[in-house]
Amino acid sequence: MVLRIRLARFGKKHAPFYNIVVAHARTARNSRPLEVLGTYDPKPQAPRPGDTHGRPWKDIKLDISRARYWVGVGAQPSDTAWRLLSMVGILEPQFRVGQVQGQVIRADSAAKSLVKEDGGRTTTTTEEVNA
Amino acid sequence: MPSRCAASMPPRLRSSKFSSSTASSPFISCPFVRLHPIAQPVHSSRQFSSTPCQQITLRRRKFYEWLNGPGQQLKEPLPGSTNYLGAYDKYGNLVRAGHGWRREDAKAAAAGQQQKADPEAKAEKPAETPTPAAQESLDELEAAIRSGEAEEEGKTQREEKDDGKLPPETAEDLRPFPLNQYFRSQPVLSEDLREAIFQRVKKDGATVSLASVEFGVSNERVGAVVRLKQMEKEWIAQGKTLALPYSKAVLQMLPTTPHVDSSQAKNKGKRPIQHEPINDLPVHPATHQQLFVPVSESRHYTRVDAGRAFHNSLLPADARIPHPELVQAERELESGLSFEERRRLAEQRFEKQQEGKRKEERRMEAERAKEKVVPRRRWDFVVRDVSVEAAGRDGRGIEASGWRYGFPHQDRKRGIPKIPTRVEA
Repeated sequence: MVLRIRLARFGKKHAPFYNIVVAHARTARNSRPLEVLGTYDPKPQAPRPGDTHGRPWKDIKLDISRARYWVGVGAQPSDTAWRLLSMVGILEPQFRVGQVQGQVIRADSAAKSLVKEDGGRTTTTTEEVNA
Repeated sequence: MPSRCAASMPPRLRSSKFSSSTASSPFISCPFVRLHPIAQPVHSSRQFSSTPCQQITLRRRKFYEWLNGPGQQLKEPLPGSTNYLGAYDKYGNLVRAGHGWRREDAKAAAAGQQQKADPEAKAEKPAETPTPAAQESLDELEAAIRSGEAEEEGKTQREEKDDGKLPPETAEDLRPFPLNQYFRSQPVLSEDLREAIFQRVKKDGATVSLASVEFGVSNERVGAVVRLKQMEKEWIAQGKTLALPYSKAVLQMLPTTPHVDSSQAKNKGKRPIQHEPINDLPVHPATHQQLFVPVSESRHYTRVDAGRAFHNSLLPADARIPHPELVQAERELESGLSFEERRRLAEQRFEKQQEGKRKEERRMEAERAKEKVVPRRRWDFVVRDVSVEAAGRDGRGIEASGWRYGFPHQDRKRGIPKIPTRVEA
């Protein structure tokens, strides 16, 4: 039987919450899996108090070494699971778009932290980076 | 606070005066009579009327009389003063004003003063209602300060009488509801004091309880001030507009506790004004019932035992008050330790506290360092490493991450709070 690394949806209506699980491919979505590797909370959290220009964030908990093991023995991640696993470098990302965007954002925030006082100049630098 | 918003409410009319005779003379000459009633189709099936009342009732007439007479004074608040009904008599005269005082002069003077120096105008505002003696132990120093203040005030009052200036508010003027004699408007923190508290906690790194003792503001209020000030500063950094005119207007109409900056030369030897009693024992629900516990005479029965008599986990009152360190300091003074000795002990305690704080900070820092942050277009993804071993052999470990299988949800169970109980600050 095919092993899959996939998400199991828990949580309430309009408040999704996912377990990242290793399960047989043909079992039901929320049935008891072989192992719970971690969780993924897709609800964006407000920036932490104290960082003024902070960005909203999403919480992922993952047993990285265990996920690496399961991938090594042939577990097949679903597309979403692939996206999450590629963030920690377990897999090559399927699409490069996210990576490029990440680089842009990193450069953006670096520029912001460099030029703090002058709001007008900050925007111009970000535009240059985006272009 | 809804109670303070009610300042411009007209006094209630006695219902006994209000008779049914209004029906016989519906139109009395009054500027507010609507002469041309609006033509509206009358539905016979309607049980009630949706048109406004066409009659000029006694009650309405009296209302407008009050609004154009005594109530007019309340429409535009006096600068730097509360705007409560209790400060005026029934003819609309300001009770505390002297003979020479006139409203227009006061306004002009206030405008001039604001141009001259803003903080000075604030300092002239009535400081505080005198706290009841039972709540605050007046030691010699404080008594001296108070008497000095009173003298100063007395002096200024005499001068003011000649000038025709407005004397500061008395306790009687701080009653928003004339029929409720016992309701006194309590002072709020002034803007300077809030800023000073924030600076003391955030810049100087003082603990909340230390700041609470220094400024005479309760622990909870210090926490709230720090949190809100931080948010305010974040908003300013983000370029959001604040409702400053609103806060200014409200603060002008409320009694405030001013900030006595002891670092300034003119405030030398003065103490900060106590905003509220800070060391009150919170009433624990377990102590609501009265309890008679028979105890043998030979037994050494302490407050710890008394607490335990109410509930097994109830701490003694000494441990539950907000500032046990004040009691400790007083004990040391009582036991006859020298000043140097007491200072050394206090510093030790402070150092211990700071060490705990630093430890907590280091722990948080280490936790943050373990996280991997992956920036994406709209959000950062924060990845934390966990261990599947936490689930244990049967996979039911309480420490395991993830939604658990085969357990009912507890979110509707009784006795579990559903609302957030703490704010991350």
